[in-house]
Amino acid sequence: MKRTATRTLAAFAAVGLAAGLAACTSDGGGDADGPLTVWIMGDSGANFEQLVAPFTEETGTEVEVVAIPWDAIDERLTTAVASGSGPDLLQIGLSKLSTFAAAGALLPLDEHLADHPGLAAGNFPDGVAEATQVGGETVSVPWVSDTRVLFYRSDILAENGIDAPPASWAELREDAKVLAARGDGQYGYYIPQWDSPLPVIMTWDFGGDIVSGGEIDFDTAAFAEAVDLYTGLYADGSVPTNGDFDQTQGFISGIAPMLVSGPYLAKSIADAAPELDGKWGVTMVPGADEKTSLFAGSNLGIWHNTDQVDASLDLLEYLSSVEAQLSWFEINGELPAVSAALEDATLQSDPLVQVYSQQLADSKVLPLVPNWDGQTGSDLLNALNAIVLTGADRDATLAELFTKTAGTPVG
Amino acid sequence: MRRTTLVPYLFVTPAMLLLLAFGVLPIAVAAVVSLTDMNISGLANWRNVEFIGGANYVALVADPDFWRALGNTGLFVVVGVPAIVLISLGVALLLDGSDSRFARALRSFYFVPAVTGIVAISLVWGYLYNTQFGLFNWLLSLVGIPQVQWLSDPWLAKFSVALVAVWRGTGLNIIIFLAALQGIPREYREAAALDGAGPWRTTRSIVLPLLGFAIFFVTVTTTIAWLQFFDEPFVLTDGGPLGATTSMSIFLYKEGFRLNQFGYASAGSLVLFAIIAVITVIQLRLRRRDVEY
Repeated sequence: MKRTATRTLAAFAAVGLAAGLAACTSDGGGDADGPLTVWIMGDSGANFEQLVAPFTEETGTEVEVVAIPWDAIDERLTTAVASGSGPDLLQIGLSKLSTFAAAGALLPLDEHLADHPGLAAGNFPDGVAEATQVGGETVSVPWVSDTRVLFYRSDILAENGIDAPPASWAELREDAKVLAARGDGQYGYYIPQWDSPLPVIMTWDFGGDIVSGGEIDFDTAAFAEAVDLYTGLYADGSVPTNGDFDQTQGFISGIAPMLVSGPYLAKSIADAAPELDGKWGVTMVPGADEKTSLFAGSNLGIWHNTDQVDASLDLLEYLSSVEAQLSWFEINGELPAVSAALEDATLQSDPLVQVYSQQLADSKVLPLVPNWDGQTGSDLLNALNAIVLTGADRDATLAELFTKTAGTPVG
Repeated sequence: MRRTTLVPYLFVTPAMLLLLAFGVLPIAVAAVVSLTDMNISGLANWRNVEFIGGANYVALVADPDFWRALGNTGLFVVVGVPAIVLISLGVALLLDGSDSRFARALRSFYFVPAVTGIVAISLVWGYLYNTQFGLFNWLLSLVGIPQVQWLSDPWLAKFSVALVAVWRGTGLNIIIFLAALQGIPREYREAAALDGAGPWRTTRSIVLPLLGFAIFFVTVTTTIAWLQFFDEPFVLTDGGPLGATTSMSIFLYKEGFRLNQFGYASAGSLVLFAIIAVITVIQLRLRRRDVEY
């Protein structure tokens, strides 16, 4: 009797274990006609739903938006690649494009471009679509453009005898000294310690580049001039040295009345301080030999093993249409990437947009290295910050940077 | 004659499954991955993964960032664990003294930081610590002290981050000590009072020895938690001004998720696991037997 009871209980235990293991079923394949899943970065998720409402009405395909915070994209990509299941469409920041391509996450689009003329390279400004090819293959389509321009407080500059924003980096350095002399805790310019494109922009402006022979090469004369400018601004005392400086509040309060940033800042300032209207403006980056700035922004790509290639391509084409691009600028404030949309008269009537378009016409993409944010850009920032913040020896630190980054392949 | 039954095993099985699946199995997987050069392209396609033996461990030893992270972690543990144990014990002893509504309200008050979301905490403390616009520097300016770079100065940043972590960590430990204090029979304190012992003497000779196990438990769990110190430096300084507040966990996170070097990060995580295991075993061996009266 006792033994039977023990045996029964043993059987139950085994069944319990097996049931527990069986409960871990693997995910089946996605529905062929279900909603399209789209990954949108930052907090534009709700706005995106508004944007695609007409698409859903027209085609009947539901679109499910997943909002992903910018600093969580690395983990999301890793888990999606490891599990094999990702979205259908996804937004890709340009600095992450190489990482996504290396992970094999993106569907090559070359063979579909013939059926979907809205995605062809000719729709976008010269060179942009080609610059975002990885290994010669088109794996994404430009979606929104972003650039960097000089923001300045015209009222504070005028109070200190500066009638026009600086037209060159040398002038900016002088103006920054004057503004920093206003008093203790006042600065002339703000260099974000996390802004890796800024020294690259400075290098481009001095007529050089950080790429040579298809590889990263920081050991150039133009980069040395850029480092002189960067460290010089700190040496003059024109720039705050604390890492937690709030650029929006700093601009609004006048503590840092000049800085280089993107259109998103214009929206933040307008929202946070409408009383400053008319007292600030934007202009092209100061420049030196050139006035080249950064072409940033995001592309859209299709997940490599999605079940709904055609529906995704249709949505992609819809998002690249002029109406959708202009509508997105109205809803979310991000500049279009399609040339026809950028040239739209209503858009161009905004004086800020005029400056952005002028700058976009002279902008370059960051080199498409395997991992700009995590590696190359991060090494660059660590080297520069070590020199300006901890007083590390300039030549030794730069030599270390050169050896660390030499040979990094581009594209 | 004891009858063995299988019923307890049936109840324990689900929890054991979870422990095996989410505790033991990942360590085994990490051990295997640490012997390879797995990165993001290897994750996508296993044919890209190569077996490289102990090369990751050799690279770890040669990596100055690894040693700095280890040093920072050691500093945090040496400063943070005694701080938490002493503060929790002190507050618990004081709170136990009175049973008024105010004292009971204070218990929840001390516990709230432990249950508040880290993101909310980081937002608020980030603004408190802000150099130009933060509350602390504004208060200091009222007294004429110049701005302090709480989160930008390499040494101050360590202290600021540890302060937030101590503030958060004491909550749960206070509750544990209070529970242990309430397990001390009143007769012992009354007997001591009858013998003429004052409150401090009672605490020192009766209460603290009887709290031996609670103090041991809090010390061990706090040490394990601080060896894996992650939340506060990550949200406040993201590893700090040029790696000043990068603990081992942040170092591993950056290697694994920012640089996508999964093999290297797995090797580091196994090293951290070994360190934690060794320190815990040492603490277990050093413990003398519980005091019983």
